[in-house]
Amino acid sequence: MPLVQLEGVSKIYRLGDQEFRALDGVDLTIEEGEFVSIIGPSGSGKSTLMHLLGCLDAPTAGRMEICGSDLSRASGNRLAEVRNREIGFVFQAFNLLPKLNVIQNIELPLVYAGVRAAERRRRAEEVARKVGLGDRFANRPVQLSGGQCQRVAIGRALINNPRLLFGDEPTGNLDSATGEHILGMLRELNASGKTIVLVTHDPDIAAISRRVIEIRDGKIKREYAP
Amino acid sequence: MNLLVALQIGIREISSHKFRSFLSMLGIVLGVSSLIATLALTTGIERGTREFMQQMGGLEYVNVVNKEISNAQFEFWNLSPGRTLRDADILRQAAPLISHISPELQFGASIASDSHSDRKRVSGIFPDFFTVSRHELAAGRFLTDLDVERGLRTAVVGSEIASLLWPTLPPEAVPGETLLINSRPFEVVGVLPKYERERDKQRQAAGGKSPAGGSRGRWDPFRSKNESVLIPYSTMFYDFRAGAFPLDSMESVRLDNLTIRVGDLKNFSAALDQVRAALEITHRGVDDFDLDTREEWFDRMETSIRATRLSGGLIATISLVVGGIGIMNIMLASISERVREIGIRLAVGARGSDIFVQIIVESMSIALIGGILGVGAAFGLIEVLKAIAPGENIPVMTAAAVLFSVGFAVVAGFLSGIYPAIRASRLNPISALRYE
Repeated sequence: MPLVQLEGVSKIYRLGDQEFRALDGVDLTIEEGEFVSIIGPSGSGKSTLMHLLGCLDAPTAGRMEICGSDLSRASGNRLAEVRNREIGFVFQAFNLLPKLNVIQNIELPLVYAGVRAAERRRRAEEVARKVGLGDRFANRPVQLSGGQCQRVAIGRALINNPRLLFGDEPTGNLDSATGEHILGMLRELNASGKTIVLVTHDPDIAAISRRVIEIRDGKIKREYAP
Repeated sequence: MNLLVALQIGIREISSHKFRSFLSMLGIVLGVSSLIATLALTTGIERGTREFMQQMGGLEYVNVVNKEISNAQFEFWNLSPGRTLRDADILRQAAPLISHISPELQFGASIASDSHSDRKRVSGIFPDFFTVSRHELAAGRFLTDLDVERGLRTAVVGSEIASLLWPTLPPEAVPGETLLINSRPFEVVGVLPKYERERDKQRQAAGGKSPAGGSRGRWDPFRSKNESVLIPYSTMFYDFRAGAFPLDSMESVRLDNLTIRVGDLKNFSAALDQVRAALEITHRGVDDFDLDTREEWFDRMETSIRATRLSGGLIATISLVVGGIGIMNIMLASISERVREIGIRLAVGARGSDIFVQIIVESMSIALIGGILGVGAAFGLIEVLKAIAPGENIPVMTAAAVLFSVGFAVVAGFLSGIYPAIRASRLNPISALRYE
């Protein structure tokens, strides 16, 4: 059973009487354990595709099934639940909460999953050690380097043990050496069985995956294996 | 998300913007403190009046007063003998629900000891007087039936009179002294205690001004009690009143005061009916008397307390509403500042309702902290009120008033949090994440 299945999915934005088709009849299937890259220039619709796959938004038309549940017409709460349990995000801008320390940032999804404080802390510490932040528990994001911030973000994405991990230009704000390191971590995660979807505009980065989907003008232009 | 987490987030948010949060709390602080102060003020008035009324004879005390005769009865007015001792007799026989009856004659006279003298009002009384007016004794004894029966020249004096005429003697030493009333010698047999309001007692205990200097010029409800000069009714009549109108007998002389005490408050109105029916007979159907009860006084007091409460409550409500608007304002500002944070929370799985609860809890926390500060401010405000108007009743702060006011503030916080919370919970995760 595929982890992600899109059939004729469209996303249409209306601005006044103008219609903008950000996605136009996309069919896509992603199996569990895959490492997929979505590439395309800005405005191509790749971010919209990621938002749909990441359950941040619901499609205007078409069928969308993620992690075994049909989310084509799902409510905001249902999407939030799937985001919370099945999906982890790693963003270009890290998107950490500046007032929280490393552990508090990592445990954030557990807060909304209703996990008790002691259990949250235990699991967050475990994950923090796994991503190499064993000595940084009490630091705030401003006290961390870019690479360390992105590790916190990866830790936060992993804490709920999701089946699907999204990277939205995860190396965009990092120098190349650190970026390499982060990509290495993603590759390791994929090797241990996580399904990873990487969104990027850079074909070189996309090359680390085993399947590249190129988006242009809201449609899948081509698909290839690097 | 549980409430505890929401509370933690709220407290963190408030403490990271201390000054801003404080400013937004200010309205609530003012509202709560004025509400508590108003309630304290009215409670003070209530307690003061109640206590005063207890000392003045309580609810059981009823005054039979003269009434202006109506035009329809004008021609019969001289049929009625007015209030006389016969009234007292018939009440004793025909009004069993009345436990004590105190007829009284009064007379302005010069009173003197060996060294001091003054003009004061002297009252001729029956022993029931002490019960009806709730008198106690500081020294000696009350007047008895024997004093009245024999027309003895004995007297009981109030504390002010005792200290006026015998300034060097303690109250215990005054009984046995000779009191001259219009040059006739009376033996002082008893001294009444000094009656004063709780507040005056406290002030004195706190080492304040001397009572005489402190209360001069101010209305003292116990002044007439403290300045009593009481002698037996019969002595009063024969020594001072009989000569004035030779046709008067002790029974027919018009009383200056007729006060009674209802035995049991449960039968209050029935007792009053008995009194009316009995007096109707002695007054020969002329409607020239009225019963002045403390109940009406109580009603008047309740009305004035309600008015105070209403105006104070209005001010407090307005400031709480203004305070609520202040909180709403700050919450809206805080949300537009935290759009990105909300986006991140949504992205990791927060539902709209989680965000809603978070904002509401934060708004209520601001109101609660403001309310607690308001309680502190109320302490200060009440001190100021005491300093400004020391002559009035002391404001009394009750736990119920504090809880009510703080609760009111929290409700205001809740209401003013609703709109910002709805706005925050409706944010779209994608645009919130992109928000710079």
